[in-house]
Amino acid sequence: MTFFERMMSIDRRIIFLFVALAVAIPLLRPLGFPVQVSEEVRSFHKEMAALEEGDIIMLTFDYEGDVMAELDPMAIAVLKDVFPRGVKVVALTTYAGGTGIAENHLREAAEVYGKTYGVDYVFLGYNPDWSGTILRLGESFKKTYPTDQYGKNTNDIPIMQEVETYDDIELICSIAGSALSEYWAIWAGGRYGVKVISGNTAIQAVLIYPYYQAGQIPGFLGGLKGAAEYEKLIDEPGMGIRGMDAQSIAHALMLVFILVGNIGYFFSRRAKREELRKG
Amino acid sequence: MSLTIDPGIWVAALFTLAIFSFLYKDNPVYKFAEHLLVGVSAGYYLVQYFFSAVYKKLYVPVFINGEYWLIVGGILGIMMFARLSRRSEWVSRYPVAFYVAAWAGYVIPSYIQVRILQQVKSTMFNPFAMSIQEALSATVLLVGVITTLLYFYFSAEHKGGLKHVSRIGITFLMIGFGATFGYNVMGRVSLLIGRFQFLMTDWLGIIQ
Repeated sequence: MTFFERMMSIDRRIIFLFVALAVAIPLLRPLGFPVQVSEEVRSFHKEMAALEEGDIIMLTFDYEGDVMAELDPMAIAVLKDVFPRGVKVVALTTYAGGTGIAENHLREAAEVYGKTYGVDYVFLGYNPDWSGTILRLGESFKKTYPTDQYGKNTNDIPIMQEVETYDDIELICSIAGSALSEYWAIWAGGRYGVKVISGNTAIQAVLIYPYYQAGQIPGFLGGLKGAAEYEKLIDEPGMGIRGMDAQSIAHALMLVFILVGNIGYFFSRRAKREELRKG
Repeated sequence: MSLTIDPGIWVAALFTLAIFSFLYKDNPVYKFAEHLLVGVSAGYYLVQYFFSAVYKKLYVPVFINGEYWLIVGGILGIMMFARLSRRSEWVSRYPVAFYVAAWAGYVIPSYIQVRILQQVKSTMFNPFAMSIQEALSATVLLVGVITTLLYFYFSAEHKGGLKHVSRIGITFLMIGFGATFGYNVMGRVSLLIGRFQFLMTDWLGIIQ
């Protein structure tokens, strides 16, 4: 095997080892790379910053454990942004696996900022059939969720006295690990006219751009980088910013491996052609 | 370094390492972790779905609140189980037909409005009412939409002018695929960072 052929067939375990080191070392010894804020994150922040004390937002935890690493920093940052300013939160999840995640984040943030369940925030829990849930919330929150996550009648929850339909909330913030943000924009936004902003996994973010460009989703956070940018804007460094050095180094490493593979391919193909020409 | 004594974190950390062991090669520890995940997930979702759908959405409204018309939905749901036997399979077609019809009614008008009409509207612009930068951006968008649509126009052979235009369209598509791939890599690396942060912070306590 020639040197160039070897470049194309590096053992995958060596690549894994390098990626692990590229992620671990910057986490242990942060390099402090600057975080540049993108336009879509600035727009997301602008929508959040416009909220005033007493306003109510709907925060939807549309994800499960598999994408917590990307979306948890966003959900935490949103709560850190709204709770200190007295903005109230109606939270729910469209995923059965999202209940535990939402409960943890809401409880932890409420403890830090001294918020009272039922008054400053409520967790309505999981409702089967997300499409029916999105549409029916436009008619009645209380009929869609007769009880909250803990079985308490929503008619008896103080914050729910102020919320009957989408007209009573300022915006929906969908933190989604799938196409749920699009569906909130299509049904809640398109049909009922409520403003929808979102936090999405990196894979999903690329599909959100058309909605952002058309103004249907006026701002969004894309992947861990989006979370880091938002943390920077609200001056609450968290898991997003901490992960950015590792993200940058890992991406640089990927580029190196892609270049090495392509150089190996290019030169080994040229060598084979020359061999054929010589006969 | 302050190793946690929380048993929950220890279990999560050890199972994370068990799953990572697959990166070296397939092994019994990985298999055990994988099978346990499948089993636990199945149990968790069964309970969640039963409680949130059958109990909260059917049993409570019908048998406690007296909303008897919901029994119709319950019967349609039960009919779906007829698929389990080949002789009674035909029964399940009725709830499926009902669901497909309702779903189509939900989806078609909303999709046309939001995914087509509003998207097309956003490609229309007045260059005199915007900055040069915005006008340039809007022009690139318009060219991208038209040329990409023409790439998918199959009623005429792609030669002559149409060939060149569809080439531009495929270039836009390639840029889109490249961006998708880049975001994909970012997403996967983020998940790895998340696990490493968990191991180093919550489990080992070597970073604060």
